[in-house]
Amino acid sequence: MNKRIIVNIVSVLVSIFVTFLLTSILILLIGKNPIDIFVMMFSEVLGSGYGIGQTLFKATPLIICGTGIAFCFHASLFNIGAEGQLNAGAFVMSLVALKLGALPLVIALPASLLAGFIISALVGYVPAIIKIKKGVSEVITTIMLNFVIIALVNYFLIEFLAVKSTVRTEKISDSLMLPQLSDYFNSFQGSSANLSIIFALALAVFFYFVIYKTKLGYKIRALGYNETASKYLGIRTNALTIFSFMLGAGLTSFAGMNFIMGYKGYYELGFSNNIGFTAIAVALLAKNNPLGIILSSLLFGFLDFGGLAVNTEIPKEIMLVVQALVILSIISINKLTEKYLNKQKI
Amino acid sequence: MKAVEFKNITKTFGNFRANDDISFSIEKNSIHCILGENGAGKSTLMKVLFGSYKKDSGEIYVNENPVNFKSPLDAIKSGIGMLYQHFMLIEDFTILENVILGSEITAKTGINYTESKRRLNSLIDKYKLDLNLDDKVSDISIGAAQKTELLKLLYRDSEILIFDEPTAVLSPIEVENFFKIIRNFKEDGKTIILITHKLNEVKEIADEVSVLRKGKLVYSVKRENLDIKELGKQIIGDLELSIVISDDNLQAPEAKAEFEEIDVLLSLQNITLTENGLTKLFNINLDLHKGEILGVCGVEGNGQSELIELISGLNKNYTGLYSKNVRKISLVPDDRLKKGMIKEFSIGENLLMRLPGKNVFSKRLLKEKEQEVIAEYDVRVPEVGDIMENLSGGNQQKAIVAREIKLNCDVIIFSQPTRGVDIKASSFIHQKIYNEKMNGKGILLVSADLDELLALSDRLAVLFKGKIVKIFAGDEFLSGKQNSKELIGKIGQLMIGMEL
Ligand SMILES: Nc1ncnc2c1ncn2[C@@H]1O[C@H](COP(=O)(O)OP(=O)(O)OP(=O)(O)O)[C@@H](O)[C@H]1O
Ligand SMILES: [Mg+2]
Repeated sequence: MNKRIIVNIVSVLVSIFVTFLLTSILILLIGKNPIDIFVMMFSEVLGSGYGIGQTLFKATPLIICGTGIAFCFHASLFNIGAEGQLNAGAFVMSLVALKLGALPLVIALPASLLAGFIISALVGYVPAIIKIKKGVSEVITTIMLNFVIIALVNYFLIEFLAVKSTVRTEKISDSLMLPQLSDYFNSFQGSSANLSIIFALALAVFFYFVIYKTKLGYKIRALGYNETASKYLGIRTNALTIFSFMLGAGLTSFAGMNFIMGYKGYYELGFSNNIGFTAIAVALLAKNNPLGIILSSLLFGFLDFGGLAVNTEIPKEIMLVVQALVILSIISINKLTEKYLNKQKI
Repeated sequence: MKAVEFKNITKTFGNFRANDDISFSIEKNSIHCILGENGAGKSTLMKVLFGSYKKDSGEIYVNENPVNFKSPLDAIKSGIGMLYQHFMLIEDFTILENVILGSEITAKTGINYTESKRRLNSLIDKYKLDLNLDDKVSDISIGAAQKTELLKLLYRDSEILIFDEPTAVLSPIEVENFFKIIRNFKEDGKTIILITHKLNEVKEIADEVSVLRKGKLVYSVKRENLDIKELGKQIIGDLELSIVISDDNLQAPEAKAEFEEIDVLLSLQNITLTENGLTKLFNINLDLHKGEILGVCGVEGNGQSELIELISGLNKNYTGLYSKNVRKISLVPDDRLKKGMIKEFSIGENLLMRLPGKNVFSKRLLKEKEQEVIAEYDVRVPEVGDIMENLSGGNQQKAIVAREIKLNCDVIIFSQPTRGVDIKASSFIHQKIYNEKMNGKGILLVSADLDELLALSDRLAVLFKGKIVKIFAGDEFLSGKQNSKELIGKIGQLMIGMEL
């Protein structure tokens, strides 16, 4: 058991190393010195409170969204629809926050979060019920729903709700804005990191506990491993499928909090910047373990902000390539370690 | 000539020695039985031979040449075939497609079906397999599925055939049939390695027997010197044999003939169940009482699984009246891998998932529950907390039986409760089932093992094509149990649809 964990950690480290190697080659190809670039990147990102803060800021929605997706994945529900789910939820979250701005924070904030959660969960209900009633794979339905949801949000926002000649809502009341980390720690000055990160961490830890230590978590994983046996073990598989899908989808809405309550104060088209898809990679990288998701989100946050930091030297798209390389190398090296672990068997 | 020779084979999993310095050989053109308790290392040794496990040390010779198989493909190329305990068939394919998959005879335009069919049909005729190549696997019986697996081995020209508990899933008639086929194989010069827990089968068919215990070879004997009592002793070790050898102490005396209306726990009236236009159960009338073991027998696929799903509440698409006076029903399903457990979880986790209350699983709680099961039911695990996939087949079965009894429901359904379980554990499980009955539980016992049914049942229902063709009950049944030969004959005829 323990050996397994160690081997897994080693495999992740090796993959990251391989990624660095491949990236170096890439950087060499465009005629730069990879060492210089890496030194620059590390010192920009990790050398200042600002850099660290930005990394945390970028990691926050990934942690939240990744946890929601992982929850679905544990039940073997391949929810590819987080992008749509989180946009629907975040949009409604901002609307409710706008309406309730005058109320005290302790009412207005939970109410807007809850509204967002419910909307995202309802979006998650659709593929779940189609899967149960008609047996259609959720992969297809969630991908398609992404387009539908984003188009709908687009329409309502631009037709009725957007501030003139922008693609965003009005600003929510200042009283609803979350404190910035820099309010507490001076060194984060200038970065957008806010209290959402604490929320995200708590969420991940909580769901780690739910998934691995509670009966509910065991039932969900059982459903993911073997649906037939789950039925025989007395699990109401259809109900659990709906529940997992709705809860997982609902959680993704909280990713909007970082941007809306923690940063800009409004919902803006395209704010999610594909978080819903990146979070899939984040979750897979962590093997759907929420604690691992914290780490992989930080890695992606690091790459994301690091890409901006070295943008003067190399195109920032390189970092997108690096993100993809990390995933590819982890997947392939994973296969190798699996083989190693099974060597005694196969 | 030796078909297979093991020399000092050792295979460990972590610190656990599943095979410990095993040496013996298997004569060509013989039937060699391998026996041993659950977890003795039989399947492991076979998987080592077949190249699906890598041995730690030792040598293997096939036809007196040293071999070192890296994968089952190598073994197949050397003429070894293995029939696993669990079938490897694709349900949506026909028998033909399943058999040729992976070694198709090709023509210019793709697969040459005519040639394949010709070859396969001649094999089917030669060994009297009685299969129709165009049948879909999802529609055929377990016996036929097993013959399909046999056909696969024959098609690949296997000369050495490994069978891991092939008879566990078969009804007595099918077993006879299977042995006939195996004997034909032997006549054709093939070598057969057979794992089983049933000593009467060994007596019937073995040329030579090897017994493993705790990973070591402890006993080998040739047919001439075969003594069943001695064999039982060797399998179990030095325990007194009396408790072990059969269910003598459970026979008829305690069986009940009369039941009170008031004790009815479950009642099925005119139940009919149709699936995809096929009638799976027809007009079933059945009551289960407190303190009763109601046996159900029949050739697999005659409605047993539908009946179980219906009673346990998994299938509600029936017509007729089903009433129950109990809240929860526990169930030991027939297929432990597919239905009985989550193999990625440990024994403790599988148990706690089923137990009411306790919503948080602490490490301590898991360990405590697991150790209860291990101690009480003598389940052998490589390591406490190990996932169930790493347990031997019989030990998985014991853990599942333990779990369902521990739930303490008023009705327990046992489907093939001792499938793949060794003689000692099997009589232990029978004792447990009997105790539950004495505790006032209602028990539905579905089994392919007539001896088991006769030893335990108070009444016995025979299923054929979804109908209950007879319920043996009362004095007729109880006195029949005493001289069971005649009764078994009758039951056997009913099971294959003959009228009495
Ligand atoms: N992959 C594995 N990892 C760890 N332990 C294993 C693994 N496979 C088998 N074992 C252990 O090795 C021992 C021997 O297992 P094996 O399956 O060979 O038993 P067996 O003799 O076939 O028993 P049965 O009659 O129950 O089928 C068991 O204690 C089992 O738990
Ligand atoms: Mg075995």
